[in-house]
Amino acid sequence: MKTIILLSVLGIVAMMADIFKYRAVLWYLVLAGIGAAVGLELLEWNQNMPYYGMLLMDNYAVAFSCIILGLLFVWFLVSRDSYTGQEFNDADHYALILFSSVGALLMVSFVDLSLMFLGIEILSIPLYILAGSRKKDLSSNESSLKYFLMGSFTTGILLFGITLVYGATGTFHIERIASAIGNSTMPVYFYTGIALLVVGFGFKVSAVPFHFWTPDVYQGAPTFITAYMSTIVKTAGFAGFYRLFSTSFSNARMPELMEGTTWSILVIVLIVLTIVIGNLIAAYQTNAKRMLAYSGVAQAGYMLMAVLVSQVEDNTKSSLMLYMASYGLATLAAFTVLYYVQKSKGSDEFEAFTSLGKTNPLLAAVLTISMLSLAGIPPTAGFFAKFYLFTSVLKANPSLLWLVGVAIFGSLVSVYYYFKLIISMYGSDEKSTAEVPTNMAYQFILVAIVLIILFLGIQPGLITNLANL
Amino acid sequence: MLNLVFLIPLLPLIGFVLLGVFGSKLPKFVSGAIACTTVLVSFLITLTLLGGVLSGSIVSETITYFDWINTDGIYLPMSFLIDPLSVWMMTIITGVGFLIHLYSAGYMSHDEGFARYFTFLNLFVFSMLMLVMGSNFVVMFAGWEGVGFCSYMLIGFWFKNTNYNNAAKKAFIMNRVGDLGFLIGMLLIFVKVGSLEYATVFGQAPLVFESGTTDIVVITLCLFVGAMGKSAQIPLYTWLPDAMAGPTPVSALIHAATMVTAGIYMIVRSNVLYTLAPFTQDFIMIIGLCTALFAATIGLVQNDIKKVLAYSTVSQLGYMFFALGLGAYTTGLFHVTTHAFFKALLFLGSGSVIHAMSGEQDIRSMGGLRKKLPITFLTFLIGTIAIAGIPPFAGFFSKDEILAYAYQRSPILWALGILGALMTTFYMFRMFFLTFFGEFRGTEHQRSHLHESPLIMTLPLMILSILSIAGGFLGVPHVLGGHNWFGHYLSGVAPVKELALDHSTEILLMSISVALVLVVIIIAYVIYVSKKQVPVSEGSTLTTPHRVLYNKYYIDELYDALFSKTLRWKSEWFYKLLEKGGIDSLVNGIGKGVQWSGKTLRMAQTGNISTYLFLMVLGIILLLIITGLLV
Repeated sequence: MKTIILLSVLGIVAMMADIFKYRAVLWYLVLAGIGAAVGLELLEWNQNMPYYGMLLMDNYAVAFSCIILGLLFVWFLVSRDSYTGQEFNDADHYALILFSSVGALLMVSFVDLSLMFLGIEILSIPLYILAGSRKKDLSSNESSLKYFLMGSFTTGILLFGITLVYGATGTFHIERIASAIGNSTMPVYFYTGIALLVVGFGFKVSAVPFHFWTPDVYQGAPTFITAYMSTIVKTAGFAGFYRLFSTSFSNARMPELMEGTTWSILVIVLIVLTIVIGNLIAAYQTNAKRMLAYSGVAQAGYMLMAVLVSQVEDNTKSSLMLYMASYGLATLAAFTVLYYVQKSKGSDEFEAFTSLGKTNPLLAAVLTISMLSLAGIPPTAGFFAKFYLFTSVLKANPSLLWLVGVAIFGSLVSVYYYFKLIISMYGSDEKSTAEVPTNMAYQFILVAIVLIILFLGIQPGLITNLANL
Repeated sequence: MLNLVFLIPLLPLIGFVLLGVFGSKLPKFVSGAIACTTVLVSFLITLTLLGGVLSGSIVSETITYFDWINTDGIYLPMSFLIDPLSVWMMTIITGVGFLIHLYSAGYMSHDEGFARYFTFLNLFVFSMLMLVMGSNFVVMFAGWEGVGFCSYMLIGFWFKNTNYNNAAKKAFIMNRVGDLGFLIGMLLIFVKVGSLEYATVFGQAPLVFESGTTDIVVITLCLFVGAMGKSAQIPLYTWLPDAMAGPTPVSALIHAATMVTAGIYMIVRSNVLYTLAPFTQDFIMIIGLCTALFAATIGLVQNDIKKVLAYSTVSQLGYMFFALGLGAYTTGLFHVTTHAFFKALLFLGSGSVIHAMSGEQDIRSMGGLRKKLPITFLTFLIGTIAIAGIPPFAGFFSKDEILAYAYQRSPILWALGILGALMTTFYMFRMFFLTFFGEFRGTEHQRSHLHESPLIMTLPLMILSILSIAGGFLGVPHVLGGHNWFGHYLSGVAPVKELALDHSTEILLMSISVALVLVVIIIAYVIYVSKKQVPVSEGSTLTTPHRVLYNKYYIDELYDALFSKTLRWKSEWFYKLLEKGGIDSLVNGIGKGVQWSGKTLRMAQTGNISTYLFLMVLGIILLLIITGLLV
């Protein structure tokens, strides 16, 4: 709660920076603010504090808030370079990002559906603006408009779903929904409501077939806005998805449907579609940014597996946390390298990465390790993230072995496109082109991110043990 | 004391990272200083642990740092076990390791790969420490693989020479064969016991396995295959003599004092399992004895100073396994200790000789070096006496203990053991006399260049010779008025085997062995000093037995015909038939399928927002239909 207030105030402070002329120190102010927010968040650990029947700061909320704030901190560190030029007004952008993050924090700590909806909107509306912040660029405008149109369409669906659920249970409180269900059979429109909520969240986390906006929006938006969307927004989306479905709907099963719940079939459909289609299209891409967009789609398929088994296995939440943290870090690092390459070469096609291994060995190494982590190859964090996720699915329901098989097939395909990028950096004999200029400080940050990825690969227990608390 | 334990492996690792990243930019002096200091500090911390163990304040401590994998059924913590055995090995690794680091700083001072050399030497120390410190088989295996990798990198250190690269590859591949055995053994333990923690495995083993059942015999044999590879036993020994391609200090550290004794450490650590498998013990005993004799016969006729030492190492390792096979675990480790001292000394001494001879390694071109290299001469003499087993030098006590256990089992084993010891004495003194006595036989250029090595190289020699003299007193047997201190030191980890010989027999056995050794030394002196015989030069005709020995029983050629050739033939066949015809087209087919489906599915991504919304609505309808069907 205090964190949410602090972050909102920080957003207002950022907004005022132009008026009161402290833009020069704004960045440091924001970093310090986020650091303080993490501290405040940690004070809530084990407190289980409810706020007005709207928020509940349980350990789940605290842990995910910390992951979000951590990723946000890293985002502010790596994105600094794009705001030192004149292209964007950093005060405006920072304010919007901070407001959006407030929405993200609400989405991990809500206990009331109205606040969940509010969180989603607070998260999304600044992004519609940010996606179009390259005002004179046609694709940026297109990105913004597409995102807005499709986003508002889904908002309607989501609200419809909430309404139906409210109609059937008479409450917005997620725990009371669960007790309202009890063991009774609910009316058909209740299950329709759940299906619509699956659609709404499916859109937010870009699950197939609700993913169509993702590649276009990701490609058109400025690189670091894309990075923000594909990491922090996705984390918040999944945290909210998991929180709602594991708390409210784990009893929503039909008497004749002994195994699992109605919505678990829907989620399985989404998982299979997302993993297969996401990976197959990603394999065809020749543009690094678009490849990362599709990779984000495909990764959502694995993350959905945590939601699927949330009703059975309590510690899947720690698997999800590890997955989000490792995916978020690797993706942020990859986008940062992409940004530098794009900045100096003017292109984000795979060819632009040619012989990066020779000209910028450090950037190439960072990108390589991020790709390895995304592909799930040890000793990176991504390996254990996948490992724990898959084992928790099998533990929850051994008959889902085929689904894990599909996921592993997807990972195999993903190795192809992640490695294509690595090969284009190291494999070519071409005369080395000009070096991509980078700043020493940013290099240091990138190395730190990579070290964390490797560290989590050696000691995943750091995050996975959180759920046992 | 225990809260500093993590620093022991961490410091060499930090050294590795620093040298690996900045090594090429640092001056040689700084690189050398980083490498030596990290190992020295590790050694000092280890000494405090040793103090704790000796005073009895540390008995057996498991320190868990973090959980590596923790799911249902698999629990693999990253943890260390600090007990007399691991502390003893750590002391040898860091202590001898430091001396060899120091020596290397002098020996490698003219090499352009100076920083790279120390990078891998530090990584080696780290891996070796992991191997002995781990409290479960997984950490041991991680170290096990790590030392194998470092060994590969350092054997092929001068990678511009193709032969050296081949030697490195050979070592790596042979070790892989062994590693596979180790891995299978490890997994079998996991299947049967459900854990890889030493405490659990060794606690459960007597309950899970009945003595002598197939399960335990297979497990212990698999683990022993790992030891065969790493510790160069028949039939996986041929890599070790070739491994001499690496710089000499590497041979001293990795291929004499530490890495090759990993197999012995592993068996002593798992002695509970081996005691349950008498068949495996006998097998180890036979392999050990055969290796000891076999390698010694080859050593008799080698002319390369390092090759002689290499075969001597193989032979001595055979002795250690011989002891383990007899059930005398502590004795095996005692010999590891004394061997680490005198063999490191001999290797470093030979390095000093090679250094003086401008890289010459053939003892036929040496001779008379004792005047030019007085310190090397004296220390080398100490090492040679120690390995020959003359009291009161280190080798005498450990070797005598092994022979006593052999006699207790059967006088024939004892006689064979003595035979090996005599051959050892002969080839060592042959080499010693040919190198340091008689006339100088090298070129004029080499003669003018002869010099004693600098202090940084001779200091480790002196320290090691003191250890080679005194090391044996760690385990003075009862019959000579001692208490077998070393056996008691380790008694918490491995039981001391009963020695039921009466004192007069024991004294008699000792006297016979010492007398025979002295006779052999005199014979060697007569042949190589009085009669000034020099082994015939390359290309002259040899008698048949001599030729067989000189060519190492043609084992390399045999392996080449038996394994390499057939393997090449098979892979050719598989390549043409399976790879080209089957797998290639399958893989390409899948690849094309992925490409095609990606291309087709991509068509949906038109960029047109109304198409997107239309498809989304289709998706929503799909989900609603499914819900409808379920409800």
